[in-house]
Amino acid sequence: MNEIIKIDNVTFEYKGADEKLLNEVSLSIGEGETILLCGSSGSGKTTIIRLINGLIPHYYKGDLHGDVTVSGFDIRSTELYDLAGVVGTVFQNPRSQFFSIDTDGEIAFGPENIGLDPEEIKRRSDKVTEEMEIKDLLGKSLFELSGGEKQKIACASVSALLPKVILLDEPSSNLDIDSILKLKDQIALWKSQGKTIVISEHRLWYLTDLADRVIYMDEGKIGREWTGSEFASLSKNEINELKLRPLSIEQSLTDKDLTEKDLGNDVVSFEGFCFAYKEKAFLFRRPDFSCYDEDELSLNIPKVSIPAGKVVGIVGHNGMGKSTFLRCVCGLQKRCKGKIRIGDKVYSGKERLDLCYMVMQDVNYQLFTDSVENEVYLSMQERDEAKCHEILESLGLIEFKDKHPMALSGGQKQRVAVASAIASGAELLLFDEPTSGLDYSHMEKVGELLQSLASGGSTVMVVTHDPELIATSCDYVLCIDEGKVAYLRKVIST
Amino acid sequence: MNSKKLTAKDFITIGIFTAIIFALEIAISMTGYIHPYVVATYVVFLPLVGGIPMMLFYTKIEKFGMLTIMSVLIAIIMFVMGMGYLGAPLIIIAGIAADLIAKSGSYKSSKKTIISNGVISLWICANYFPVVVTADSYRQSLIDGGFSEEYAEGLFRVVNYKTIWILVVICFVFGVFGALLGKKVVKKHFEKAGIV
Amino acid sequence: MSLRLDPRTKFFMMLVVSSVVLISATTPLLWAIRILMTLIPVTLLIVEKKYASAIRFVLLYASALVITFFFISEQSTGIVASVLLGYTGMIVQYLPSFITAWYVIRTTNTDEFMAAMQKMHVPDGITISLAVVMRFFPTIKEEYASIQAAMKMRGIMLGGGNVGKMVEYRMIPLLFSCVNIGDELSAAAVTRGLGGKVRRTSVVELKLTTADYILMELFAVSAVLFVYFKYFAR
Repeated sequence: MNEIIKIDNVTFEYKGADEKLLNEVSLSIGEGETILLCGSSGSGKTTIIRLINGLIPHYYKGDLHGDVTVSGFDIRSTELYDLAGVVGTVFQNPRSQFFSIDTDGEIAFGPENIGLDPEEIKRRSDKVTEEMEIKDLLGKSLFELSGGEKQKIACASVSALLPKVILLDEPSSNLDIDSILKLKDQIALWKSQGKTIVISEHRLWYLTDLADRVIYMDEGKIGREWTGSEFASLSKNEINELKLRPLSIEQSLTDKDLTEKDLGNDVVSFEGFCFAYKEKAFLFRRPDFSCYDEDELSLNIPKVSIPAGKVVGIVGHNGMGKSTFLRCVCGLQKRCKGKIRIGDKVYSGKERLDLCYMVMQDVNYQLFTDSVENEVYLSMQERDEAKCHEILESLGLIEFKDKHPMALSGGQKQRVAVASAIASGAELLLFDEPTSGLDYSHMEKVGELLQSLASGGSTVMVVTHDPELIATSCDYVLCIDEGKVAYLRKVIST
Repeated sequence: MNSKKLTAKDFITIGIFTAIIFALEIAISMTGYIHPYVVATYVVFLPLVGGIPMMLFYTKIEKFGMLTIMSVLIAIIMFVMGMGYLGAPLIIIAGIAADLIAKSGSYKSSKKTIISNGVISLWICANYFPVVVTADSYRQSLIDGGFSEEYAEGLFRVVNYKTIWILVVICFVFGVFGALLGKKVVKKHFEKAGIV
Repeated sequence: MSLRLDPRTKFFMMLVVSSVVLISATTPLLWAIRILMTLIPVTLLIVEKKYASAIRFVLLYASALVITFFFISEQSTGIVASVLLGYTGMIVQYLPSFITAWYVIRTTNTDEFMAAMQKMHVPDGITISLAVVMRFFPTIKEEYASIQAAMKMRGIMLGGGNVGKMVEYRMIPLLFSCVNIGDELSAAAVTRGLGGKVRRTSVVELKLTTADYILMELFAVSAVLFVYFKYFAR
C-alpha cells in the first residue's frame, strides 16, 4: 500500500497556549485506509486533522516542529488553495460550514474555486448528486435544511473536489441517529471509491465495521493502536477503562407503556401543548393554536404526565417535536397555550418562564457575563455570595469563578449553565442535547449531574439522541413521534 | 508568510463585520421616523454602540485595505437601500483616511485606532446627505412624499447646511467615545476570554 | 415558470429604482410611474413563487400610499399624525428599493452573483466580502433570535432597567457567535480553495436573454420618462 499521509515526529503548540498539544507524534497512513482517531477531548485528535488539511500552520498559528506530507505535498510549504483538490474536510458544525445560500451553488463552490470548466463542474455536481441521492435537496436554501441535510450537502461539496484524502472532524456531533446512519453510508461510499479517510470521533458505534485501523490519542501522543477487528473485539471493560464511549448501543427500556394511572400522584402534567411552526395563513394577526387543528400541528400533546423529581429522557426522530416541546414547556413559544400542573398549582403563559429553565444545545447563547460567578448571580434575584459559591463547589467550578465563561471548554460551559439553572430556583429543568459533542467522561459527568439535580427535588427533562446517556442517567423515557406522545417507559436500571 | 496582500480570510472577516454594522444601522434607523429630532441622534447612538463591533474588528486588522473595503461595501449597501449615491464619496474617503490613520500606528496604537474609528464613523453622516445637499428639492419631496410640513420644518431645523458641520463633529466625537467604550468591552470580554 | 434573469439585469433594476426614489414625485403621472416601477419587482416575486412576501409588500405599500394621500395632508399637526406620517412616509420612500433589493437577494444564487461581479470587473475581494454580507444577514437573524430566547428565559430582556446592560447582553453573545461562525466558515472555505490564484469559474453561464433586455428597457424607459416629466415637461 502506498503511503499517502506521513506525519513525521511532529510537535505542536498553539499560539498563546501554555503547553504542547502534540508531542513527537509520528503516523503513517496508507492510501485507501480508513482511520479512526479516538480519545478524550483535548487529546490531540482535531489537531492531527488540522495538520493533514493544512489548517495548521496556515490558518491556526503556533509552534510547529516536524514534517507533514500528504500525497507528495509538504504541508508547510503548500498553500491551502493548492491542497483543495487533494484533501477535503467535513467539519463538525453543519450550520457554519457553508459559504453559499443555495444548495446547488454550495456543491459547485469547490470546483468553481479551483477554476474548472463549467461542463466539468456540472458533470461532477450531477455525479455527486446521483451518488448521494440528494436530488430532492437541490434548488433549496441552505437555511431551510435540517442539520443532517446540511451535513449531506457539506459532504457533497467536499466530494465534488474529488480529493484523495477525506477528513471528518467529529461529524456526528450534531446529528440524530438516522442522519448518523446516512453518514455511515456516505463514508462507506467514499471507502469503496478508494479514498483515504481519517475520522476524529467520540461516537464509535457507527464506525466499528468501517475502520481499518483505530488510533487512541492520549494527551498529545499516540496511546494505542489496533486494527479494526481487534478494536471491535475489545471487551466492554477495556473500552470503559480507556474512557471511550461504548461500541454498541443497547435497548434499555422496559416494554410496558406507562399511563397516568401507573404514575400515581407525584407528577408534572402538561396540558394543551399544541403548536405548529408553519403559520396559519394570516394577514395581520397571528392566530393561536388549539389542539383541534390536527393536521397542521408540529406538536400535538393534549395531555401527558411525567413523574416528578426524576430524570426523564425525551427521544424521537429529529424534526418530530422534541425540541419544540421543550421550547413550549419553557414558555418560549408564546402562541402555544399549554399549561403545566404540579400538585395544586397551574402554570401558564409567562409563569412557565419562571418555573422552567432550559440549558440549550448551544450553551453559548445563554452566557452573558464576564465571569462564571457573575453568570450565577445573574440568575439570582439578590446577590447571595454564599449560595453562589456553594453551587459552584458542587459543580466543580469554584476554581474557575473569575474566569470568563467563553474561555472554558464545552463541558465546563455547560456546567456553568447548570449552575445558573440551579441558582434560578427553577423546579423544572430542561436540557436540549447536552452531550452532543462530549467525550465519555464528560458525558458521565453530565449524567451524574442530572441525577443529582433530580435527587435535589427538581424534575429533569432531557432531550437526547445519546443512548449511553439514557442508559446511565435517565429514569424514564418519553418518546415523541410526529408531534404526539408515542410512549412513556421506565428505563431498566443497571 | 506575512504578505501585505489581503487573503480570503480577511475578506470574509470584512464581510462579517460589515453585516453586523449594517444590522445595527437598520435596527437604529428604524427609530428615526418617530420624530425628526431623533434622526439627528443617529450620530450619537450608532457610533457609540457600533464602537463595540468595530473595536473587535480592529483587533483583526493587520493590513491596509480592510477599512477601505468596508467603507466601499457600506457605500454600496447604502445606495442599494435607497439612500443615494451622494454619500458614497464621503464614506469612501472616510474609509481611506481611517485606514491610513490606523496604519500610521501599525494597527496597534491605541490612540490612532480610536481616532481612526472616529473618522470612519462619519459614514453615518451619509444618511443626511440627501437632506443637506439637495436641500430644497428634498424638502419638497418630503412634503410630497407625505411628511407633514411640520416634520419637514423640524427636520430642516435640525439638519441643514449650517448644522451639518455640527453633526459631523458630534459624529466624530461619538465615534471616539464609541471606540473607548468598545475597547473597554473588548477588554472585559474578548481579551479575557482569550479570543483576541 | 421560473424566470432566469441575469444578475446584471437585477443590478440594473436596483440602480434605476434607487435613483428614481431620490427624485421626488410631485405629479400624479410621476407617482404612477413610481408605483409601476414598484409593481414590477412585486410581479417578479410572484413569478418566483414568493407569494407571501409579494402579498405583504403590496399590502404594506398600498396602505402606506392610501394613508399618505387620503388621510393626512401637509397641514397635519400633532404627535399621532406625525408618527403615523413618519412611518408611512418612510415606507413610501424606501419600500420600492427595499422590495427590489429583497427580490434580487432572494432569487440570486451566490455563485451567479459572484460570476456576475466578475463579469463586471469588480475585484474578487469585494465580491467575496459582499457574498459573505448577504450570506450572513440571515445568520445574524437566527443567532439573535436564539439569544433573545435565552434572554427571555433568564429574565434579562430589560437588563434590570439598565440600558448599558441591555446592549451588552445582546451584543456580546452575538459577537462571540459571529466570530466563531466566521472562523469556521473561513476554514471551510479556504480548504475548498477560496482565494486561490486561479480565476474563479462558474457552473452557471451568464447570458443576457430576451427577458433581460425587455426588463432593462422597461426600466430605462420608465426612468427616462420620469426625469423628463419631472424636469422638462410643464
